[in-house]
Amino acid sequence: MSGEAVIVGAEIAAGHDGSAELVLRLRYPNGGEGVIVLEAEKGLELMAVCGAAHLEELAGQSWRRLLEGTCST
Amino acid sequence: MFDVIVRNGFVVDGSGEAGFKGDVAVLDGKIAAVGAVNGAAKREIDAQGRVVAPGFIDPHTHFDVQLLWDGAARPALEHGVTCIVPGNCSLSLAPLRASDRSKVVGMFQQIEEMPPEAFTQAFEWSWEDFAGYRDAIAKQLSINVAPLVGHSVIRLWVMGEAAQQRTATPEEVAAMQEVLRECLRAGAIGMSTSFVDLDEHGRPVPSRFADFAELDALTAVLGEFGRMLQCVPEFYDVDITIARIDQLSELSLKHRVPTTFSPVFDNTSTPDNAPRILARVEEQFARGARVWPQMQTRPIDISFSLLRPSLFFARLPRWVRVLRQPLEQRLAALRDPETVAKMVEDLGPDGGRRMMGGLIVRGGDAAPAEWVGRTLGDLAAERGEPPALALINLSLEHGLDVAFLAADMGHEVTDRVGPMLAHPLVHIGASDGGAHIASFSTYGDTGYLFSEFVRKGAHLSLEQAVRKITADTADIWGLKDRGRLRPGLAADIVIFDPETIDRAEERPVFDMPGEGMRYVRDARGVQAVLVNGELAYADGAYTDARSGVVCV
Repeated sequence: MSGEAVIVGAEIAAGHDGSAELVLRLRYPNGGEGVIVLEAEKGLELMAVCGAAHLEELAGQSWRRLLEGTCST
Repeated sequence: MFDVIVRNGFVVDGSGEAGFKGDVAVLDGKIAAVGAVNGAAKREIDAQGRVVAPGFIDPHTHFDVQLLWDGAARPALEHGVTCIVPGNCSLSLAPLRASDRSKVVGMFQQIEEMPPEAFTQAFEWSWEDFAGYRDAIAKQLSINVAPLVGHSVIRLWVMGEAAQQRTATPEEVAAMQEVLRECLRAGAIGMSTSFVDLDEHGRPVPSRFADFAELDALTAVLGEFGRMLQCVPEFYDVDITIARIDQLSELSLKHRVPTTFSPVFDNTSTPDNAPRILARVEEQFARGARVWPQMQTRPIDISFSLLRPSLFFARLPRWVRVLRQPLEQRLAALRDPETVAKMVEDLGPDGGRRMMGGLIVRGGDAAPAEWVGRTLGDLAAERGEPPALALINLSLEHGLDVAFLAADMGHEVTDRVGPMLAHPLVHIGASDGGAHIASFSTYGDTGYLFSEFVRKGAHLSLEQAVRKITADTADIWGLKDRGRLRPGLAADIVIFDPETIDRAEERPVFDMPGEGMRYVRDARGVQAVLVNGELAYADGAYTDARSGVVCV
């Protein structure tokens, strides 16, 4: 098992404010899983950073990709 | 002689007990009698075939600004809401120094989406302290108001610019405590705080710079008055939300105050979140804490236009690439036949009928009025185009300023949401009335409670549903003279048809100052609304009554 969290799933969901959001499921090194939600621009940016044409292609990416690009600002 | 007798109705008194056929009499703004009432009244209202219930209480609104020119908080009142709680999410319009107004206006615009004219033309800004704001709205109220004071504005009052830069010193915390005391004495029903909200520049609002010691000290003041702490936790992360539930619970136990937080909503993509939150709430209530989760009744829609990229297109990489370009290049790409042909092709052989055909044109933007409420599938068929192409062309023909709505995309599974709403520890609220006004309608959640979860889903009985949004709400917030039809209490009364009460379709209106647009939903099935004994709404029209008060 990798020593860091990885993305294991991604879905689009409706956000509280009526926007579409990206729901990411992360799996941690201890096997535990957690969910984080990205707003539209950051979600689209993550897909671009990961070169993902489809949501499914985010699976397997390191959580650190979230920090790349302007995501980290 | 009574002032009013509502006769022959089905009285559902807010207690949760079975309703009964009877009358409700009103004298001097109070309930005078309930049951078989003898005697005469200056006005009699026939409620045959209707439910007579306490006025509904909406515990999470942002009507702070609108109340300055619209004392009915339209259309909240026509939905049977007789008491609203503004000042949520750390933001209120007092206390606020004149020199800080522009900062808070920006924060309000971020949440409420009010046009600038709402702050510059619609009212005279005559106050700085909380009592001044209370007096400014009290002049013309048709609805009752139980206002919160915002943590962010208290911070701004004491710390100035530093409120959005750092934690507070012990001296500043002490000063904030004194300001909060003054607001509570002047009629604030509690304090709101937020760990989430941003100002118009994308900076965290002042409350987010507070450390726990500051929140603890301010909650201690709430404890002196037994008042509510309202909070917006990091709802996008369930684990942090649960940590905040624990934190609020500690504050509730230590200072003997009620606390409430929102939003809590259900998404099938994260089906464990809401149940986990409710499980933690149950654990904390078992310890004696009061930490009320507010849950809205209405489903969440996704809306978008091609003016900004939306994750609605996340499964269409070519669309994402095109829509993420700067406006000029985006327009060029959308006008390029070859690019568009490929975009349409990406939707498959049905041309987007399955994915896009059900989208609804929203209106309120550059879309022609006759399109509003129609589906993209219908418009596409009329134009002889595949839906994906129609979406692009309709947008291009109107400068991309055409909004589309994908309905019921979250919190939409009635058989999941219904049992949660019926949970005794779930506080029905979080309507956000008066907020996000240019994005979606925040009105009519009470009608939807009856149409979807009483009539259709049968998750709550009529009596349970009424209790949830009347007596329960009054008890949670400490509104001692409201929420029940009981002699001696305020005569806030709604008369409605249990078979038809509902919210109407969403529609754009241009009734904000400066002809600003907002989305609203009209009421269905509400015959009359009395506020403190006076008829404020009847048979589809508002009256001239100004009987609302700032209540405690």
